[in-house]
Amino acid sequence: MNWRFLLVLAVVAPLFLINSCTETPVFKENETLFKIGDQKEWANKHFNDQDWNQGKPKMDDGQVFWFRTPIDILQNNEDSSPYGIRLEVYGEYEVFWDGVLIGKNGNPGQEKKYGPKGKMWTTHSIPSALTEKGQHMLAIRGSLYWFADHAGIWSLDINYYDKLVTNRLIEIAFMHVLAGAFLIASFYFLFLFLSNKKEYPMLIFSACCFLFFVLIIAEFSEAYLPVHYSQHRLRLQSIGVLMLGISFLIPFYFSMLFPFPKRQIYTTLYGAVLLFIFLIRYDFFLLTARYMATSMWLYALGMVVYAVYKKKKGSITILSTLLLCVAINLIATFNISFYSGFGLILLGMFYLLSNRIKEQRLAYEKSLVQSTRLRLELLKKNIQPHFIMNTLTSLIDWVEEAPDKGVLFIEALAKEFDLVNRIENEKLIPIEQEIALCKAHIEIMEYRKEIHYTWEDEGIDAGQKIPPAILHTLLENGITHSLPLVDNTIKFKLIFESNAQYVCYTFLTYANRVRAVPSKIQDGTGIQYIKARLTESYQSEWEFSSEPTDYGWKNIVILYIQ
Amino acid sequence: MHLLIVEDEARIAKRIERMARAIVGEGMRSLVHKDNLQDALHYIKENTLDLVLLDLNLNGDNGFDLLTTAVSESFHTIVVSAYKEQAITAYEYGVLDFVPKPFNQERLQLAFSRVGSKEKLEPSKVKHLAIKKRGRIHLIPIEKVLYAKGAGVYTELYLTDGIKELHDKSLEKLEQLLAHSFERIHKSYLVKMSEVKQVIVETGSKYKAELNNGEIIPVGRTKYKDIKSKWL
Repeated sequence: MNWRFLLVLAVVAPLFLINSCTETPVFKENETLFKIGDQKEWANKHFNDQDWNQGKPKMDDGQVFWFRTPIDILQNNEDSSPYGIRLEVYGEYEVFWDGVLIGKNGNPGQEKKYGPKGKMWTTHSIPSALTEKGQHMLAIRGSLYWFADHAGIWSLDINYYDKLVTNRLIEIAFMHVLAGAFLIASFYFLFLFLSNKKEYPMLIFSACCFLFFVLIIAEFSEAYLPVHYSQHRLRLQSIGVLMLGISFLIPFYFSMLFPFPKRQIYTTLYGAVLLFIFLIRYDFFLLTARYMATSMWLYALGMVVYAVYKKKKGSITILSTLLLCVAINLIATFNISFYSGFGLILLGMFYLLSNRIKEQRLAYEKSLVQSTRLRLELLKKNIQPHFIMNTLTSLIDWVEEAPDKGVLFIEALAKEFDLVNRIENEKLIPIEQEIALCKAHIEIMEYRKEIHYTWEDEGIDAGQKIPPAILHTLLENGITHSLPLVDNTIKFKLIFESNAQYVCYTFLTYANRVRAVPSKIQDGTGIQYIKARLTESYQSEWEFSSEPTDYGWKNIVILYIQ
Repeated sequence: MHLLIVEDEARIAKRIERMARAIVGEGMRSLVHKDNLQDALHYIKENTLDLVLLDLNLNGDNGFDLLTTAVSESFHTIVVSAYKEQAITAYEYGVLDFVPKPFNQERLQLAFSRVGSKEKLEPSKVKHLAIKKRGRIHLIPIEKVLYAKGAGVYTELYLTDGIKELHDKSLEKLEQLLAHSFERIHKSYLVKMSEVKQVIVETGSKYKAELNNGEIIPVGRTKYKDIKSKWL
C-alpha cells in the first residue's frame, strides 16, 4: 500500500506545488482590434483606432494586417530585470510596445519571397522605461501566408523577462525528466516482452510508455526546436495521432488485465468512437485531446468498476487513480491535469504489471517446489513402509520357503526400482515405459498377494508421452482396493483413443470391490499425485475421472492437445 | 487357542499362520484368516476369540477402525504392521504388542508369550480404554478410571465422575494392559494407586483402601504385603 502513497507523492505533490506557486498576473489584456493594411503610425500608443474591427481578420495571399491590444500594467517593475512579453501568434510579425519595435519574428508581408522564417512562440523584452503602471499599447504588424484563417493572438503573457524564459525551461525540464522515465520504462518492458513473447500486456504497456514519451517531447520541445507556424498544424496532427494511440491502448490494456464479457465487441466499439473523434477535428488539439481523454476515462472507469465489483486484484488502486485524475482536472489547468492524469494512469498500469510479475514469480517458484515435491513422491512410492516392508516380509518368506521363487521376486523388484530410477527426473515419459513399470509392479504384487493379475492394452500409440507413474498409481489403487474374482484373478485393461482435440486413456480394473460404497479414495494421496502431475504438464488442459462400476473400477484420463 | 489373522497380503498371512501354528502347537483350536475389514468385523462379532493378529492397513482402509473395535473386545490384540510410527498409537489404544514388519518367528513368539504371561508390560502406554456402548465404541481416557472391578468374564470400570462402565475384557487381561499405575489389590479389584488415600487396617486382619473420593475398597489379605512393600 506504500505504493499508492508514493504514487501520490511523486506525481501529484509537485503539480500542486507548481499550481500553488502561480503568481497573480502583473497585467491585464484588453480587447484586440485589427485592421488589414500597413501604416507605420498604427504602432503608436495614442493612435485613434476607433474604426478598427473586432474579432479576427481574414486576408488573402499574405496581406499585412495590424493588431492593437491595449494592456494594463498592474504593478510597477521593481526588479533589475525588465518585463518581457511571450506570444503565441500565427504568422510572421513585428512587435511594437507603445510605438517602439521590441521584436521581430520572420518577415511580415514578405513570406512568399523569403520562405518560412521565425517560430510559433516568441519572447521579447520590453524596455523598462515603458512598463510603468498604467495603460500601454501592444501593436503587432503581421502577415499570414499559410493558414490565413488562423490569425489571432492565441496566448499572451507578460512577466519579468528572465522569469518568462526560465519558468518555461523549468517546466520543460520537468516534463523531459518525466518523458525520460517513460522512455526507460518503455524499453524495459519491451525487453521483458521480448524475453517472454506471451506477455502482451507488457508490450502494450511498453507501447503506451513510448507513445507518452513521444507525446511529451512533441508538446514540450518547442523551446529548442523552433516550429514555424506553417508546420504547427502538422505538429498538432502528430499529437492527435499519438493521443489516439494512447487513448486506445490504455483501456485495451485494462481490458486484458481485467477481463469482462464481450470485451472484444466493446473495445472495437470504443476504438470506433475514438477514430470518429479523431477524424472530426484531428488538428484541433485541445478539443480532440479533451474528448479522447474523456472517452478513455469513461471506458476505463466502466471496466475498472466492473473489476472492483468482481474483486479483481489491483482494481481498487486503479479506480482511485482514475478518480484522482478527476480531482486534478477540477483544480488544475487542462494541460497540467492532462499530463499528470496520463502519467498517473500509466503509473497505475505499471503497478498492475509489477503485481502481475510478482504473481508470475510466485507461481513459478511454486511450480518449482511442486515439481520437486512430485519427484520426491515418485521416489517415495518404492520406499514408503507399506510397500517396502510388506514386500520385504513376503520376500523373506519366499526366500525361506522357496528360494528359487525368491530370486525371481528379487529380480522383479530390481526391475521396478530400475524403471523408477530412470523416470525419476522426467516430467513426461513414453507410454511404453509407463506400461513396463506397471507390468513390473504387477509381477511384484503377484508374489506378495498370490493373486493372478493380468494386463491388457489396446490401441497404444508408442509415440505418446504421459507424466510418470500416473497409470502406475491407478494400478496401485486397483490392487489395493480390489478383491480377486472367484477364479483368484484381477484384470487390468488400458485403452488408448485419440482424435483431433484430445487423447484419452481408459484404465479399467475387473475385480470385486472391497466395499459396496465408494469412500474417499478420490481424495487420496494417489489421486492428488495424478492431478498434480497432470497440472504440471498440461496446466488446465486435462480431465480425470475415477469411478466404481459393476465390474470393478474405471479411470479416465483425457489430455487435450495444446 | 482361537486365533484370527487379519492381513490383506496372502503371502504374509500364510507366514503368520505357519509361525502361529508352530508357536502354539497343540493348543491351536481354530485359526482363521480374513483379508478385509468387513469380513474381519463380521467374524469378530460372531465368534469367540482369544487373540487377533491385526494389520493396520487393509486394502487402503484405516486399520484403526478395526483396532478400536478389537481392543474393546474380550480378547487381546497384537498389531503386525509395516508402519512403526503407528506403534505408539496402537499401544495407547491398548494392544498387547506391536510387531513391525518384516518379522521372524522369534519376534512373533515373544508377542505370543505375552498373551498368557502374568508378567506386566513396561510402564503402561495405554491412554484409552475402548468400551462398547449401545452398539458404538467409546474411548474412555485412562485418567478417568478410578478402579476396575471384576464381574465374571467382564469388568466394571468405575470412573471419576461416578459413572460405571462395562468392559468386555477380563480383569486379568486389563491388569496385563494397565500395569504399574494400576494394582490388583484384591482378586476382584484393580485400583489406580494414585487414587488411593490410605490403607486402613481393621481388627481381624481386615484391610481396606480408602480412595481420594472417600470410597472404601477391600484389600486382599495376600495382596496387602505386596502393596505395603511396593507402595507404602
